[in-house]
Amino acid sequence: MRDRGEPRPLPVLDATGAVDHAAGAERFVANEARTTWHDASLWFVREKRDRAASTVEDWEALRDAASAIKTHTLSRLDEYLAQFEQRATARGITVHWARDAAEHNEIVLGILSARGARRLVKSKSMLTEECGLNDYLIGRGIDVVDTDLGERIVQLRNEPPSHIVMPAIHLKKEEIGETFHEHLGTPAGDDDPDALTAAARVHLRARFLAADAALTGVNFAIAETGGIVVCTNEGNADLGTALAPVHIASMGIEKLVPRAADLGVFLRLLARSATGQASTVYASHMHAARPGQALHVVLVDNGRSAQLGRADFWGSLKCIRCAACINTCPVYRRSGGYSYGSTVPGPIGSVLTPGFDLQKYASLPFASTLCGSCAAVCPVRVDLDVQLYKWRQLAVDAGYVSPVKGWLMRRLGAVLADPALLQLTVGIAGAILRVVPRPLARRLAGAWGRWRELPEMPAQSFRAWYRANRRGPD
Amino acid sequence: MPLGFAQRIVSRDDLVARFIDSAAGAAARVVHGTRAELATLVAGFSGDGLASDGVARFDREAQRVASRCLSMVPGVPGTVAVPDDPHALADLDLLVCEGVLGVAENGGIWLPASRLGERSALVLARHVVVVLARSSIVADLHAAYAAVDVSAESFGVFLAGPSKTADIEQSLVIGAHGAMGVTVVLLDE
Ligand code: SF4
Repeated sequence: MRDRGEPRPLPVLDATGAVDHAAGAERFVANEARTTWHDASLWFVREKRDRAASTVEDWEALRDAASAIKTHTLSRLDEYLAQFEQRATARGITVHWARDAAEHNEIVLGILSARGARRLVKSKSMLTEECGLNDYLIGRGIDVVDTDLGERIVQLRNEPPSHIVMPAIHLKKEEIGETFHEHLGTPAGDDDPDALTAAARVHLRARFLAADAALTGVNFAIAETGGIVVCTNEGNADLGTALAPVHIASMGIEKLVPRAADLGVFLRLLARSATGQASTVYASHMHAARPGQALHVVLVDNGRSAQLGRADFWGSLKCIRCAACINTCPVYRRSGGYSYGSTVPGPIGSVLTPGFDLQKYASLPFASTLCGSCAAVCPVRVDLDVQLYKWRQLAVDAGYVSPVKGWLMRRLGAVLADPALLQLTVGIAGAILRVVPRPLARRLAGAWGRWRELPEMPAQSFRAWYRANRRGPD
Repeated sequence: MPLGFAQRIVSRDDLVARFIDSAAGAAARVVHGTRAELATLVAGFSGDGLASDGVARFDREAQRVASRCLSMVPGVPGTVAVPDDPHALADLDLLVCEGVLGVAENGGIWLPASRLGERSALVLARHVVVVLARSSIVADLHAAYAAVDVSAESFGVFLAGPSKTADIEQSLVIGAHGAMGVTVVLLDE
C-alpha cells in the first residue's frame, strides 16, 4: 500500500489543537439513521455478552479473580517482566524493550531490515495503531498488510479502526462492497457478507503465502513460562506466524500474567465479554519459534509506567481490551469511534488517553454520562466511571475546560448545597419555563438546550405536593 | 493464590453433552465413532460431507474429493507427508489430528504442535477433522490448564470450531482465513 497521507476522517480539533469530542459527536449524529443503526449494532453485541455471562455460574467470582490477579501482577510488574524476559530468552525468543512508540517502531524496522524483509502481514494490534507503526513502515518501503478482515477493510479505505475489537463497525455492507469492488475487483453492487469475506480470503491468502514477516499483538504473556497467547476468530495470526520466517509480537508491558493457570480465568472472561462467544476460535500459545523461524517479542512502555504511577489511574492497566465497556457506553454508541480522536475510544480510551496528553484529550472524560454501565460489565473490574470523574477534576484544575463551564459547575454546586437557594432557583426557573416560549427557553439553557427538549413544568412542585399531602406532624 | 472455583461433580455423560452443545455453538460438527471405524469415517468425509455454509459456498474446490490429506492419526491414511517448508501445504484439503483434551464449557480442543504435525496445517487446511476421546473431556478451562502443560511445546492451541468473522455488519461468516469446516469425531473411549 502506498502512503496516502493521514487517515480520514481526522478528529475534530478546537482552536488549541485539543480533541473536541462534542463536535466530533455532532458530526456523527448529523446522520440520524446511521446513528440509530450504529447504536443498535453495538447494543446487539452487548446483549450477546449478557447472555454469555449469564451462562457462567462463577461469573462474578471470575471477575474478582481476574481483577485480583491483574492487581497483584501490576504491583510487581518489574519482577514479572524480568522473569518473563529470562524465561522467554531461555526458550530462544529475542526480547526487546521499547520505552516509547518511536523506539518500538525502530526496533520493528530493525528486525525487518536485518532479514531483508519487505512484505509484512499483521494481525490485529491496537498497540501498533497507538505507535503509528503502519505509516512509519510504509514510509520506509515496507509493504504492510493488515489481515484481520475489519482492519483490512479500514486499511483499504485509509481509515483508522473505529473500535478495538470490530474495527469496521461503523461501515455498512454496501460501503464495504464498494471498497472491495474498487480494490479487490468484486462485482459492483455485491454486498453479501459471505461473498465479500470469500474475496478477502483469496486476496489475503496470497499475501500470507508471500509474506517475509508476520507481526501480531499479544493478549497475554506468561511470566512463569516465557510464552505468549494470541486469540483470534479468523485464524489470521496463526496463518501469518505459521508461514513467515519471522514473527514479531508487540505487547504493552501490562499484558503479563504470572502463571499459565491464570489464563483459565482470563480466557473464560475475554471472548464472552468481547463478542458473547464462549471462546475465540483460536487461543494460540507460543513458547518458541518454529524450527527455522525467529520469534521476537517487543515489550512496550509508551506511557504505561507513568500510568502505573498514578494513584487514581493505575487500575486502567488491568484492562484486557475486550471492548465490553465500549459496546455498552451510551455515548460511544451514539457518537462513534472517530469522535474520540484516540486509538482506543469509549470509556477505557477516555481514561487511558488523557494520561498521554491531558490538554489534548481533556474533552474525553466528559464524553460520558457517568452512568457506570462500563464498570458494571468490565471483566477485570476497572472502576472506569470513578476514573472518568477524577480525570474531569484534573482537567478543570489544569484549566483545560472552558472557564464558563467551570464557573457554572461551581455555581450549580453552591445552589445544590443550599436548600433555600435551591428552592428559590427552582421557583424562578419554573416560572420562566411557564411563561417564556420554548425555543427561547432552550436557547437560554445553552448547550444543554440545543439538542434537548426542556421538561414540562408541573403546576405544583414535588416539595409543595409533599407538604400538602404528607401525614403526620409538620 | 488458589482460585478455588467450585468443582461441581458432573457425570461423564453430562460433560460430553455439554461439550457437544458448546462445539455446535462454535459451528463445529460432532460425530460419534470408534477407533476401528476412523479410516472409513474420514474417507466418507471427503467431498460434500465437509461443505458448510459461509465462504464454502464460493469455494469452487469445496465439492471435490479431499485429495490432499495430512493425517497425524495412526490408522487413518493421508496423502501428503509433513513437509520441511510449511508453504508446501498451501493447497491442503484436509488435516486429520487427535486432540489432547476437550473443554465442555466452550467446545475448545487442545492441540499442541506435535499433534498437528505442522502448525500451518491447522489454518491452511480447508477442513480439519479432530479425533477426541470422550474420556478426555474436562469441565472448564481451569481443569484444562491443570491437566496440560501449555508450555511443553513451542506451540499449542485451543481450537473451537471453524475460522469465522463478523466484521461485516455483525453477520457471522464461517471460513475467514482458516478452516471452513471443523468436524470432531468423538471416540467411545
Ligand atoms: S476496561 Fe474492562 S470492559 Fe473496557 S475494554 Fe478493558 S477489560 Fe474490557
